[in-house]
Amino acid sequence: MPKITYIKPDGTPLTIENAEGNLMEIAVENGVDGITGDCGGVCSCSTCHVRITPEWIERVGPASADEKNLLSYEDSADGRSRLGCQVVLNPELDGLIVEVVGS
Amino acid sequence: MSDTSCPYDPFKDVRKQKGIHIGHFDGEEIPMILRYHDVRSAAKDWATYSSDTPFRVPIPSEEDVRSYRQLPIETNPPDHTEYRELVEPLFRRPQQQDYIEEIEKMIDRLLESKLRAGIPVEVVSEFALPLQCKALTRLLRVPESEADTWLLWGMHPFLGEDRQEKGADLERYLERKFIEAKQSAPGDDFFSILAHAEFRGRPLTLDEMMGFGNLAFAGGRDTVINMVTAVIGYMAEHPEAITKLRENPKLIPTAAEEFARIISPVSRIGRTCPTGAHVAGHTIKPGQRVALTWASANFDDSVFDAPDEIRLDRKPNPHVAYGFGPHVCLGAPHARTLIRSLLKIISIRLERIDLLTSKQNRLAGPNIDRHGYYDSLEVRFLGLKSLASNGDR
Repeated sequence: MPKITYIKPDGTPLTIENAEGNLMEIAVENGVDGITGDCGGVCSCSTCHVRITPEWIERVGPASADEKNLLSYEDSADGRSRLGCQVVLNPELDGLIVEVVGS
Repeated sequence: MSDTSCPYDPFKDVRKQKGIHIGHFDGEEIPMILRYHDVRSAAKDWATYSSDTPFRVPIPSEEDVRSYRQLPIETNPPDHTEYRELVEPLFRRPQQQDYIEEIEKMIDRLLESKLRAGIPVEVVSEFALPLQCKALTRLLRVPESEADTWLLWGMHPFLGEDRQEKGADLERYLERKFIEAKQSAPGDDFFSILAHAEFRGRPLTLDEMMGFGNLAFAGGRDTVINMVTAVIGYMAEHPEAITKLRENPKLIPTAAEEFARIISPVSRIGRTCPTGAHVAGHTIKPGQRVALTWASANFDDSVFDAPDEIRLDRKPNPHVAYGFGPHVCLGAPHARTLIRSLLKIISIRLERIDLLTSKQNRLAGPNIDRHGYYDSLEVRFLGLKSLASNGDR
């Protein structure tokens, strides 16, 4: 099962072993600051905004059209931005590191 | 509710053709912004589309039913940000597991009492209204017995022929609560938190506390009642939906968002453009008020595939039913927990809901009416056979 590390808005890392689901669900279950996942993962609220660390971008892949649409309203969004609810973990993402953008 | 003619989207043609509908409210001409991206952009741009207008964020305005600027909603950042921070932790509690379990138990008890009676239930007055009031006691952390007072305000303290009397009654109630809280030791309930809060190095004034109190009781009243009733109405007309959620409970949060989109319980909200604006080819004059029409944006087919269809598994579903931007609904975590819990308990407890009689109302008039809400909805709840030990027939 994949391991994932969230770099929280205050800069401290939090690593979760045996993670399952999408990046929003895992963060909410583990109380990661800056990710509240208000809408439950339907791409409506943008409260799970993360930035993928550069070395992982290719493996994580690009945002979908709906996701890009929503990210376009976030001032802090850039080319590494994803909505955590839209990134589902798989064995290839074992060791993934993401930065939590927060509000 | 019907998912074929879609009574919820009367804006379809004018949204496509013009993007703006000129509404008239109490003699005021208010351009209603209808397209999804225009609505979302305006909601984010708080400087152009200002909320710094006491009594004028709701449409129609509310000068006649209250004496206080509602907080934090009727302010702009940075004031808004700092006011909101005072109550945000309290309004985020509904995302915690113990809170969710409390709401589930509350709904289960209420449903159980209706099942046991085995008689017709008028959902608006006998289920949705008491549920809204009781659940609000949990949000505000006050004794459940307070709901007995709140029930007397009916569908909404600011609606009905006696709206001015009810508005005044609410203000007297709130004033008493804040003064009592101020004179008592600090506690963790809504009134106490505000009575002992520090804002920019000073205590809140009574006017400011009243502004928060007013919003807590005016927001999330008819909206929640309409949502709860419409969900039950839908489940009565679509028994297969109950089975679907029972067999796949992971769909519950997704279904709750789809009901929020379809029902869009806050149809619109007002913003004032201090320096004017340009939107959908229209010019908004300086000082003119506009409506962000959430209920139209949520049916924009440039964003939603088959927007008239109710799809309990719709995902993605980038709706704006709870607003967007700095003013995104403060009570949304509570509303979401309430609707998700309702869907969960219905799917666990009920085999079906029989619709007996219903009287629908219109919501958004007098300009473009939305239908599908209920003045009354009479049903009979039928428990799952495996649980039907209490005479639920």
